[in-house]
Amino acid sequence: MASGIMDKVAILSMGCSRFGERWDIGQEELMREAYAEALTRAGIEASAIGAAWYSSHYDDIGAGKSGVPMAMALGLPDIGVTRVENFCAGGTEAFRGAVFAVASGSVDIALAMGVEKLKDTGFAGLPTATRGTLAPMYLPTHTNPGNFAQLARAYEAVHGIARQDLKRAMAHTSMKSHANAVRNDKAHLRKPITIEQALQAPLVADPLGLFDCCPVSDGAACALVTTPEIARALGQAEPVLVKAVQIVASTGWEAQQQGWNGAYVHTTRQAAKAAYAEAGIADPRQISLTELHDCFSITELVTLEDLGLAEPGTGWRAMLDGRFDADGAQPCQIDGGLKCFGHPVGASGLRMLYEGWLQLTGQAGARQLGAPHSALTHNLGGAPAQNVCSVTILGL
Amino acid sequence: MANIIRIGSCLPRLRLERRAMAQAMGWLVPGAGAGRGTRTLAFWDEDSVTLAVAAAQEALGGDSADSLTFATTTPPFAEPQNAALIRAALRLPALCRTQDATGTPRATLLALQAALEGGEPALIAAADRPVAQAGSTAESRMGDGGAAVLTGPGAGLFAYLGGASLSAPFLHRTRASGAETALDWEERWQREAGYQAQVPPAIAAALDRAGVAAGAVDHLILPCPIPGTAAAIARLSGLTKATLAGDLAETTGDTGAAHPLLMLAAAMPRIAPGQIVVLAQFGQGATALVLKAGAGVVDHPGLPALDHGIPESNYLKLLAFQERLDWDRGLRGRFIVQEAQSTAYRNAEALLGFVARREAETGLIRFPPRLDLPGEDWPLADRGGTVATATADRLAHSRHPPNCYGLVDLRGGGRLMMDFTDPGAADLAPGDPVRFVFRVKDIDETSGYRRYFWKAVRDTGRGL
Repeated sequence: MASGIMDKVAILSMGCSRFGERWDIGQEELMREAYAEALTRAGIEASAIGAAWYSSHYDDIGAGKSGVPMAMALGLPDIGVTRVENFCAGGTEAFRGAVFAVASGSVDIALAMGVEKLKDTGFAGLPTATRGTLAPMYLPTHTNPGNFAQLARAYEAVHGIARQDLKRAMAHTSMKSHANAVRNDKAHLRKPITIEQALQAPLVADPLGLFDCCPVSDGAACALVTTPEIARALGQAEPVLVKAVQIVASTGWEAQQQGWNGAYVHTTRQAAKAAYAEAGIADPRQISLTELHDCFSITELVTLEDLGLAEPGTGWRAMLDGRFDADGAQPCQIDGGLKCFGHPVGASGLRMLYEGWLQLTGQAGARQLGAPHSALTHNLGGAPAQNVCSVTILGL
Repeated sequence: MANIIRIGSCLPRLRLERRAMAQAMGWLVPGAGAGRGTRTLAFWDEDSVTLAVAAAQEALGGDSADSLTFATTTPPFAEPQNAALIRAALRLPALCRTQDATGTPRATLLALQAALEGGEPALIAAADRPVAQAGSTAESRMGDGGAAVLTGPGAGLFAYLGGASLSAPFLHRTRASGAETALDWEERWQREAGYQAQVPPAIAAALDRAGVAAGAVDHLILPCPIPGTAAAIARLSGLTKATLAGDLAETTGDTGAAHPLLMLAAAMPRIAPGQIVVLAQFGQGATALVLKAGAGVVDHPGLPALDHGIPESNYLKLLAFQERLDWDRGLRGRFIVQEAQSTAYRNAEALLGFVARREAETGLIRFPPRLDLPGEDWPLADRGGTVATATADRLAHSRHPPNCYGLVDLRGGGRLMMDFTDPGAADLAPGDPVRFVFRVKDIDETSGYRRYFWKAVRDTGRGL
């Protein structure tokens, strides 16, 4: 019987580049920006790192596939670098690899890095992705706004939510994240918006308007993980511990059979259930803060329910009530989230963990919450009907 | 000898108003938009192959055929054989003699004559989506459409009594291989030295072989875009009591290879059992076939699609749909259709025939089928389904934005993310019934390569 990952691995340090339209630098420089911060905060030499994991989704655009681009960019000390890709959950996938390596006893310190250089693609929004040889022959030409607009339409239909109510709840979701990001000097978008602005934005995929969609960004984030004992030996009296890491990939059931009603994300529910069991959490509403995958405002509303932070069909109302605002009972996206911190795909999972780590160690500056004891991060890669979902829980 | 068992047809929904053509191009070409009424306009994902498939589905009515001829002057592919794709889409047996017949719209009646005289169950699927110079009379007169006929030994709509074809090096229209538009020679010469000189001898020879007197012919079906010419030919041929079939000029326009069959379908409500019909066509000679209506004609619906068009007043859609407008597609429109032909062939039954698999162990219906699991073929093309989720996506590339798609619950089990097509696709919502149509999936801008797949359209219950 597996005993799970709880309390076996600590976060020694993290780093994160400034996100945004980084016309000034490339993928290698982005990685070095995040890596330098992590090394400095950890107070270790690069030679202490025993293995590394590297996440990048559009890597053929940035630096080239394989682990070599990262080994070269960072000048790593002749160690194994494993390149991973798992849609928007890639950053968490890299983190999981590093965590497992430490937990196995193979290495003392492991590095997980996620990076994306999206603004060199020329696209507004994510570039057109390759989907193998067979899928393009039958699947529609789709975009993520189109995929998640279906989630919104199903959500309002299944729960009988009026369009104007849903639009206002989605607008509040984005307004809240914009407000939070004003206090984050690494965020991509740092301008507050009003609900009316969001409501009046042009449609991208009905009912999702421009402000319901997160931007795509350049950015990198990384983690150095180690054992709790080594973390303490390096001076961390109360290190941030990994309580759970769970990843679930769709089996095709939702997209190929008729049981799924389209108004929730099956993998999120499964990953959350497994993570809560692994971390021994009976009531997820006790978690101090959440960083979830708000690629679209509707994703945030539905995910709040799938994570058990709101009852199914009520997340939109709780959002309007301010429960997930910075001063609400369960602050969500305190760093601005994907919506405003930005979304460099392969880095986003590590960016969320970065915020969780900052908050739990009291280093979040102007946006520091009181005394958080736990943080949950969630990634959703792909479409509501077919995706990879990760849920990670950190705690003291 | 065989008989005509069934006739099928397919008209695009859009009807481009000639008035709009005149408004758009009349300042430049005085004769633009010549004629009255409308012409059919194929949607961006309809071409001669898809129109032929839709018409052939109706003509087959669940029956099979030993051979398939695709008659067209506008085949999407110079290579490969287009009929091979049509056969696969129709799921006719692999033991089927397929061929493309091209070069003249008369290819349809040439193939039909051969089929009727050959005796075997044969399918002739005819369709055209012609292209003419912007503002030309030809552009205004032409239309897009498909029609098909199933022949065989059984009793059907018409008994074949006899026919004749003559050939002439009469080059009233020329278009070199690879050229987009044709050059038409003077209309008066076409009428007098062409139609009026070549069609009557073909009719005479056909009637002679059929043993039917000219005065006994009840209906003449002869596509001819030059006004008054068909009547002149009836007179010249001694068809004293024959009714001229309507030429559909003010609704569909001249649909080329499909037109004799579309005119015949439209004329069906006026054809009574026992009547004699001459079906004729012109082009580098002429073909005439003499038919005798059977009892089945009274049940034929005619051409109901004529009454279910959608008026279109934007001439630019014709240029955009025919890929003749260098419009700003954005980065998302610049993608290469790099077909992995080995993948496509391995999955041809699924992709072209639209066949899922019902897995033996679980009973689940899955598309695409898992080729390594035992189970039974589960054809989807005629099943239809219900929209489960839907979106109208303004970011995704589309030749008719927004790009509409969603999950479709397949009748009988299984689910698939599908494109929604045709005007009005954005209105499809969860719970709406849909049926499936064979359409162009993607077109490669640089090579012209196109792939086909099935899409969902609103099921109105009329089969239109």
